[in-house]
Amino acid sequence: MKRVQFGHSPVPYLFVAPQILIILIFFLWPAGQAVYQSFLLEDAFGLSSQFVWFRNFEDVLSSDSWAKSAVFTIVFSFIVAFLSIAISLFLAVRADEIIRGAKSYKTLLMWGYAIAPPVAGLLGSMLFNPLMGDLYILLNSMGFEFNHIQNGNDAAFVVILIAVWKQISVNFIFFLSGLQGIPKSVTEAATLDCKSAERRFWTITFPLLAPTTFFLMVINLTYAFFETFGIIDVSTKGSPGGTTATLVYKVYVDGFLGADMGSSAAQSVILMFMVSILTIFQFRFIERKVHY
Amino acid sequence: MFRKTLMAAAALLAMAHSAHAQTEITWWHAMDGALGGVVDQIAEDFNASQSEYKVIAINKGGYEDTMTAGIAAFRAKNQPHIIQIFDAGAATIINAKGAVFPVEDLLNKHGVGFDINDYIPGVRYFYADSDDKMIGMPFNSSTPLLYFNKDAFAKAGITAAPKTWQEFEAIAPKLKEAGYEGFAHSHGPWIFFENFMSRHNLQMATANNGYDSTDAKLLYNNDELKAHWQKMKEWKDAGYHGYYGRAWGANQDAFLQQKVAMWIGSSGSFGGLRQSAQFDFGTSTLPYWEGVGEAPKSTFIGGGSLFAFAGHKDEEYAGVAKFFEFLTKPETQFYWHKETGYVPITNAAYELAKKEGYYKESPDAEIGIQQLSEEGGDWTKGYRLGFYVQIREVIYREIDRMMNGEATIDQAFDTIESEGNDLLVRFHDTYK
Amino acid sequence: MYQSKLRIITNHLILILGSAFMIAPVWIALASSTHTREYLFQNGLQMWFGGHFLENYGAILFDPAATKGRVTALEMLFNSMVLGLGFAIGKVVISMMAAYAIVYFRFKLAVPLFWVIFATLLLPLEVRIVPSYEVVSSLGLLNTYTGLILPLIASATGTFFFRQFYRSVPDELLEAARLDGAGPLRFFVDILVPLSVTMIAAIFIIMFVVGWNQYLWPLLMTTDDQLYTIVIGIKQVYNSLYEGGQIPQFPKAFALTIMATIPPVLVVVIFQRMFIKGLVETEK
Repeated sequence: MKRVQFGHSPVPYLFVAPQILIILIFFLWPAGQAVYQSFLLEDAFGLSSQFVWFRNFEDVLSSDSWAKSAVFTIVFSFIVAFLSIAISLFLAVRADEIIRGAKSYKTLLMWGYAIAPPVAGLLGSMLFNPLMGDLYILLNSMGFEFNHIQNGNDAAFVVILIAVWKQISVNFIFFLSGLQGIPKSVTEAATLDCKSAERRFWTITFPLLAPTTFFLMVINLTYAFFETFGIIDVSTKGSPGGTTATLVYKVYVDGFLGADMGSSAAQSVILMFMVSILTIFQFRFIERKVHY
Repeated sequence: MFRKTLMAAAALLAMAHSAHAQTEITWWHAMDGALGGVVDQIAEDFNASQSEYKVIAINKGGYEDTMTAGIAAFRAKNQPHIIQIFDAGAATIINAKGAVFPVEDLLNKHGVGFDINDYIPGVRYFYADSDDKMIGMPFNSSTPLLYFNKDAFAKAGITAAPKTWQEFEAIAPKLKEAGYEGFAHSHGPWIFFENFMSRHNLQMATANNGYDSTDAKLLYNNDELKAHWQKMKEWKDAGYHGYYGRAWGANQDAFLQQKVAMWIGSSGSFGGLRQSAQFDFGTSTLPYWEGVGEAPKSTFIGGGSLFAFAGHKDEEYAGVAKFFEFLTKPETQFYWHKETGYVPITNAAYELAKKEGYYKESPDAEIGIQQLSEEGGDWTKGYRLGFYVQIREVIYREIDRMMNGEATIDQAFDTIESEGNDLLVRFHDTYK
Repeated sequence: MYQSKLRIITNHLILILGSAFMIAPVWIALASSTHTREYLFQNGLQMWFGGHFLENYGAILFDPAATKGRVTALEMLFNSMVLGLGFAIGKVVISMMAAYAIVYFRFKLAVPLFWVIFATLLLPLEVRIVPSYEVVSSLGLLNTYTGLILPLIASATGTFFFRQFYRSVPDELLEAARLDGAGPLRFFVDILVPLSVTMIAAIFIIMFVVGWNQYLWPLLMTTDDQLYTIVIGIKQVYNSLYEGGQIPQFPKAFALTIMATIPPVLVVVIFQRMFIKGLVETEK
């Protein structure tokens, strides 16, 4: 908190009021509704309901398909986070060294931030369309027996590729800024000390970027958890065999397409727990970083 | 001040306007692409035919999207007057007591009159309750059909489409020789689960296929159906069956691009295929296994039906009744049938199509309704199973796994049975 | 700084490859959107332009039939614009105010209110969407821009951005202002807001892009297709690629994709410096 603040006055209440009002109406009310619903068995149209304690949670947690989806979500999220961070870090390091044309490369690599996830999903699914997709044809002509329609791993590859593609820009922007924030004197001293670019990177640059990397890890995990919904919904729709359905996608499929309100609400609540852990983790880290 | 006056004036004007305006009837449907155009045309024709009511047809995406939107809207007390619900979702809306105004009651109350025997036998009871009262108006009713590429057949020296799977096994090698995979299929759960049971007159679920009670169990885990899927897998491995995944369109595209010689899809695809196929094709009935069950029996209908949501005003229901009357008129049905390939749902419409000589000029268009008019059995009336949307998801998933060899036929069917029955138990507990 | 020739060349090669990787899918979509659907269906996706640019884009932009229904892509673009701008403006104004209260004032409810705001980060709209729909509907806000925008604003990311920024503003400023006798309102309007201009612009750009790209919420809550945004239009056209028995409308889908992508990309590229500054300063 600031050392210097205004004293008591009604002004702060007026200033937070709009935000709090919107949160009360459009967040707390529906969120409370979701928690309440997770204890109910209710017909789709809301005409009858019974209170069943933890029945919905039991049904969700004991189902194979939920467990599979949870495993996929975690593996998927870490792969997406790792790959998109690694690729953009690599590109950012190279872009940082460039003198001529640096600006153009920066533009060419960062515009993807503006692409909507469903748009990325659409582009990806077109490129992998078995009848006309260039990438599908290319992979198969190279001798891979690539078939994401039937093979779960291949389908996961497609979703991961699209998700990584969409996320490179953001990471790139952060890394490049991070690199450019390293004082020139440090880099110059490093160049004198150590001729190998690779060793220089691992011993000096990377440790300096560690906070950024860690921060991006959290951001990317959150992205892979939630924002990939649009990608999955227009590319694989969770197929084949539910192998590419993330937990958020499953909430949508079971609850909204399947009209099972209780199960969907219970899944939401479980997800809320998982995200709160991630968020608190992120928040504590940010707080610490701000303090020094 | 001036602005306020202006707004008040505008509000007054709007009120005055609405006093004379027509009663608006909203209709949410799942028909897009070419089908959506036909739906819009029908709504327009109805609006032009009278001046009291105005039907506004809105496409809400696919079947699932439409149902989701309808549910959300109903919960929010903002439901449309008419909603199109697909076959698998019927149990959800029919079992929710008080969600709909049964179409039979609606038509009787508003003086349109109703006789269930006006409807062709195949569609009569599919959306009825256990007392045979019709709840939803069977609107777009389709049935699985086999489409075959005549050029491919000529190349392979085949003269007729296979009536049975035994016949198919005989011609498949010839098609392969000619450079085609034998057939592809769309919507496996509908065609090779539900309709397989109907075609062979096998019971699909306990409690009278679910009509008598929500306390039902799936009966898919049987030798006849498993033997069929064993064959499907063998055919796929031998190159007689092309499997392009669960997406409807991908399998249909394989037929359009002449990778497969036959495609098993919906009679509702006929109109669209006729526009887009670059080759001559014919249609035939859904093949069956000679000697299995009591084949051939009639198939189930698929597609969707129209439900009138509860909670509207009487004068609006009068409009809904008027519109349903218009929809079931022989002329409307014939137009719908001709443009889309969905079957005409009333006897009178079928007669009209015959009288107009439609089947003389395009005999293929009659196959669907003939198949639905084949002899019925105990288990050809339909089914009423809860959370069937999710059960279909399970089936889709297990088909994928059978086809890519991740699961054996036995494993897949065990999973379908256990997961499917878990869902049915949940549904029973929710709606009892 | 010393750099070997080889290193410079590989640097360029790597960056060119990276850029190509980013651009290729959009390039293919752009090229393919200028062919007829029959041509694409038979010959696959295209790397170079065909002769149907005006025809395809013209139909999408002005003919409601091409986008199935009553709205043209032009109207969808307008709706997206309203959503993007409304979301960005709402978010900036509301979160600036809230953050000001939290950072610059000592008041009784400060801590609990801060946690209420923090809680909104825990539960994205995707997982509370049906109850949200019910709330919006019971307020009579279905099919209104207000109903479309307000629930999206409920997440407090913007407040944290501004909170972070205000905390980096030197305390001396407030001390000086107080010596001059400036009250809380004047300090906010005359000093803090002008000081935050870059920040406001950056967050505005980020939020515009986020708003423009919204997907699931507009899909569910707009029951009237007059309110469809262009991203929803894509989903609708994409759906019809796989239903109905026609030759898929790939060029149309691609044309919509391109049109949905151009405005946010332009904003991001043109205001690049501000945008990057905002993103990097705020998200850490």
